[in-house]
Amino acid sequence: MEIDAGDEDGSAAADDTGFLARVRDNDLLHSFLRNRLVVVAAAVTLTFVLLSVLAPWIAPHDPYDVRTLSLLDSHTPPAWEQGGDPRFLLGTDDQGRDILSTILFGARISIAIGILSVLLAMGIGVSLGLIAGYFGGPADTVIMRIADVQLTFPAILTALLIDGVARVMLGAHQSAGGEFWILVVAIGLSYWVQYARTVRGVTLVERNKEYVQAARLIGLGPFKIMFAQVLPNVMSPVLVIATINLALAVLTEATLSFLGVGLPPTEPSLGTLIRIGNNFLMSGEYWIVIFPGIALAALVLAVNLVGDWLRDALNPKLR
Amino acid sequence: MSEPPLVDVRGLSRTFDVSKPWLNRVLEGDERRLLKAVQDVSFTIERRETFALVGESGSGKSTVAKMVVGLLQPTDGSVTIDGVDMWKGSAAGDIKALRRRIQMIFQDPYASLNPRWRVGRIIADPIRAFGLAKGKAEIEHRTGELLRLVGLDPLDARKYPHEFSGGQRQRICIARALSSKPQFLVCDEPTSALDVSVQAQILNLMRDLQDQFGLTYLFISHNLAVVRHMAARIGVMYLGRLVEIAPAGALFSAPQHPYSRMLLDAVPDLKMSGRPRKMIEGEIPNPIRPPPGCAFHPRCPLATDQCRSEVPLPLAFQGRTVACHEAGAGRI
Amino acid sequence: MTRPVLSVRGLRVEFPTRKGVLVAVDDISFDIAEGEVLGVVGESGAGKSMTGSAVIGLIEPPGRIAGGEVRLDGRRIDNLPYEEMRRIRGRRIGMIFQDPLTSLNPLYRIGDQIVETIRAHAPVGEKAARQRAIALLGDVGIQGAEARIDSYPHQFSGGMRQRVVIALALAADPELVIADEPTTALDVSIQAQIIQLLKRLCRERGTAVMLITHDMGVIAETADRVAVMYAGRIAEIGPVRDVVQSPHHPYTKGLMGSIPTLDANAPRLMQIPGAMPRLNAIPKGCAFHPRCMEALGRCWQDRPEPAAIGRSEVACWLTAGAVAGAGR
Repeated sequence: MEIDAGDEDGSAAADDTGFLARVRDNDLLHSFLRNRLVVVAAAVTLTFVLLSVLAPWIAPHDPYDVRTLSLLDSHTPPAWEQGGDPRFLLGTDDQGRDILSTILFGARISIAIGILSVLLAMGIGVSLGLIAGYFGGPADTVIMRIADVQLTFPAILTALLIDGVARVMLGAHQSAGGEFWILVVAIGLSYWVQYARTVRGVTLVERNKEYVQAARLIGLGPFKIMFAQVLPNVMSPVLVIATINLALAVLTEATLSFLGVGLPPTEPSLGTLIRIGNNFLMSGEYWIVIFPGIALAALVLAVNLVGDWLRDALNPKLR
Repeated sequence: MSEPPLVDVRGLSRTFDVSKPWLNRVLEGDERRLLKAVQDVSFTIERRETFALVGESGSGKSTVAKMVVGLLQPTDGSVTIDGVDMWKGSAAGDIKALRRRIQMIFQDPYASLNPRWRVGRIIADPIRAFGLAKGKAEIEHRTGELLRLVGLDPLDARKYPHEFSGGQRQRICIARALSSKPQFLVCDEPTSALDVSVQAQILNLMRDLQDQFGLTYLFISHNLAVVRHMAARIGVMYLGRLVEIAPAGALFSAPQHPYSRMLLDAVPDLKMSGRPRKMIEGEIPNPIRPPPGCAFHPRCPLATDQCRSEVPLPLAFQGRTVACHEAGAGRI
Repeated sequence: MTRPVLSVRGLRVEFPTRKGVLVAVDDISFDIAEGEVLGVVGESGAGKSMTGSAVIGLIEPPGRIAGGEVRLDGRRIDNLPYEEMRRIRGRRIGMIFQDPLTSLNPLYRIGDQIVETIRAHAPVGEKAARQRAIALLGDVGIQGAEARIDSYPHQFSGGMRQRVVIALALAADPELVIADEPTTALDVSIQAQIIQLLKRLCRERGTAVMLITHDMGVIAETADRVAVMYAGRIAEIGPVRDVVQSPHHPYTKGLMGSIPTLDANAPRLMQIPGAMPRLNAIPKGCAFHPRCMEALGRCWQDRPEPAAIGRSEVACWLTAGAVAGAGR
C-alpha cells in the first residue's frame, strides 16, 4: 500500500491572514523591547519585587526591631535637608523609624497581599468561569447572577464589607498575622468577577470547538476536559487580567489600610505608612507621607503599564 | 448478505429548543420555538462500506453525525452499532467498549486540535483514555507509528499544531482517530476546509486506510463530487429528512427525487459538456417554520396538492428509498 | 484591438517584516477586456486575493505595491492618492466579497445604501435614484423589490444578501467588477443561481469582471479566460476551455486531476505532493519545482517567464522547451 509522504515541513500552506497573524504573535519579545516605556515599567516592577523580597537583608534598619529604635531619632528630615542625618536617607517618622526601611518592608507586605489576593481571585474566578461556561444552564445562571450582583458594588465596598465581617467573626481571637490574611481574603473575594466573566466567555467558545468534542468522544469527564483541555486556552486573557488586577489589589490594600481597617501601625504596609504620615503633613514633615506615596504610585503605575502592554500584545481584541 | 449491518439507525429525530429565555418569553408573550433539526431518519451501513449523507446547510446531516457518534442525545429513535444500542438499554461496559471502536474526523482542522497541546499528546489522548498502551515508551512508539501511517514524521509528535498546514493537521486528526483502533469512522466534512490538491491527498489517504484496516465510514459532505468519489451508497437530506437513499452509481445516473436531481444539476460542469440543467429556484426555507407537507414543495416543479399537505413517506423503490409522492410516476 | 478595461503589468506586492521582505504577488501581468470575465484561481496562499486588493488599492499596511502598474481604461490607478482611489472604488470598480455582510452596513436600509451609491456617482435626484435602485434590485432577482427596498440587510437570507451586494456593486455602472470568492459562503443550489446572475448582468452591461475563487467549477461555469496562480505568480493564463480541458502547466494538470468529478468513480485521485510554499520559503527557480513530477535541472535555478502556447501563456520550462524545439 502506498501512502504519500506528508507535506514537506516549512513549505506548508498558509493563507495570507494566518501567516501575518503568526508573524505578529511571534513578536511578543520584539514588541516588548521596542516599547521603551514598558521596558522601564517592567524594570521598576521587578526592582520593587526584588527589593521587597530582599528587604530584611538590604534595608538599612529593621523598623520592627524596637531595640534599635530611638525616640531621639524621631522626626529627622531627609539626609539632604538641614538637620538631616546620613543614617536616615529619607528621614524618620515620629517613632524614629527609618522611612526608607519602612517603605521597603511596607512594599514587601503590600506586594505579598497583592499577589496572594490575585491568586485567590484568579483561582475562584477561573474555576467558576470554567464551570459556568462549560456546563451552562442553572450553574451558569447562578454563578453569573452572583457575579452581576457583586459588580453593582464597587470592589472597595465589597472588600470593606468582607473585611468587617471577618474581623467581627474572628473577634478577639485575632492573632498577629490575622489582619494580613483577612485582607488577602477580602481583596481576593472582591475581584474574582472579572476572571469569571472572561473565562466563561472564552470557555463558551472553546467548549464548542472540535477538540473538546474529540475529548468527549473518548469518554473523558467534564472536569478533566475543563482543566486539561480548556484551561490552557483561557490562560492568556487571565494573565492579562491578573497583571492589571495586581495593581488594583495593591491599591485596594493601601486604601483599606489608609482607612484604618487594614494593617496596624506595628506591621505597616504602604497604605498604613501613608495614613500615619498624613497626620504630620500639616506640621511640615512631608517626608513621612510623600515617600511612601511616591513608592505606591510608582509601583501601581509600573504594574499597570506592564498589564496594559500585555493586554494589547496578547490580544488586540480585548481592548 | 451474511453479516448484519454494522450501523443501524432507526427513526432518528432531534428537536432543539431555540426559544428565547423564559423571562423574555413571558414578558414578550413569545411562544416556545422548536427546531426539528432531524426527523425520522433511518439508514444502515454495512461493514467496510462508505455511506455518505449529503445536503445543504440546515439539512441536519451534521446533527445526524453527532447522534450516531454519541455526542448528542437523540430526541427519538435509536442508533445501534454492532448490536449495541448507543443511547438506551445497554450496559455501561458495552458503551465504553463501543466508544473505543467509533471515532470522528471533524471539519475544521484548526479547531479540532488543542492549540496548547503537543501533537504527541493529542494523538496519545485516546490511547491513554482507553488504556491501550502501557508506559511512556510504548505510547511514544505507538504515536510514532500512527504519524508515519498518515504520512508524517514521528518527530512531529514534539511540535504544536500551529506549526502544521491545514492538510497536515487533518492528517494528525486522522492519526488521533485511528489511535484507539476503531472500526467505524464518522467524517463530518473532512475536506471542506482544505484546498483541492490537499483534499485529494486526504481523500486518497482515507481510502487507503479503509482498505488497510477494513474501516466503515459515515461520510458527511455538501460536495456531491467528493461524495461520489468516496461513497458506495448515498443518502440525500433536505430540511432534516432523508429524501433519497441510493447506491452512488444509480443516484448519479438517475436520481429519483426532484431535489436530488436539482442538487446534481447545480454542481458546476467542469467538463463543460453543456449538459442540460435545471436551476433550483428559491432558497432553503427557515427550518423553524418548515413548509407543510413535503418540505421541498415550494421549490419543486412537480409539486401537487398532495405534496403541499402530506409528508411523503420513504418508499423502497428499485433498490433505493425515495420519499416523494411523485417518485415512480415518470415525471422526474 | 480595443484597449482593455483593466491592464496589469509586472505587478509586485511586498510585505516588509522584521525577518525580511515577503513577496505576496511577484511580477504578474494580465488584461481584462470589456464584457470579459477573467477568472483568477489558486489555492490559499497563491496571492489571488492580494492581486485583487492591489488592483483596488486596498492592501493593508505594511503591505505595499512595490512594482509594476495597474491601468483602468488606460489610466494609471496604482499611484493615485487615497481620496482619489476611494472615488474610483464603487464608481468605476465595483466590489463583491465572500461575506455579503462586509459590504452592507447593517444599520442602513439596503435601498438607502444603493441610492447613496447611485447618487454619489451620478447627478440624479432622490426619486430617480430610488427608481433605479428598485429596477436594479429587480434585475438581481429580488422579487417585490418595491416592497423590500426598505428592508435591512439582516432581513435577507445569505443568497439574497449576495444579490443585494451585486446590485450595490453595479449601482454606479462600473467598468470593472472585482468579485472575491462571491459564492464560497453559499449553498450549492444558491451558488449556481448567483453565478448565473453575475454572468448575465455583466454580459448585458459589458462590465469587465475579475472573478477570484479557489473553485475551478465556478471558473469553468463563468469565466471566459482564466489565470491560474501559484506562489504569487501566474502559472498559466488562457481561454477557460483550453486551460480546463488541456492544461499545459504541471500545476494546472495536477490541480485539474485532483478535483473529484461526478461521472468517474476512480479509486484514487491524482494528487500533487506537498503543499503551497509559505511566503517566507518560496523556492528558487520555478516555485513549483519541489512538487513537480517532471522538473528539469533548470527548473531549480531559473524562473520561467510566461510564454505563448496556442492561445494560452504558460510559465514553465517544460513547455517552453517544447515550443522552442518545435520551432527549430
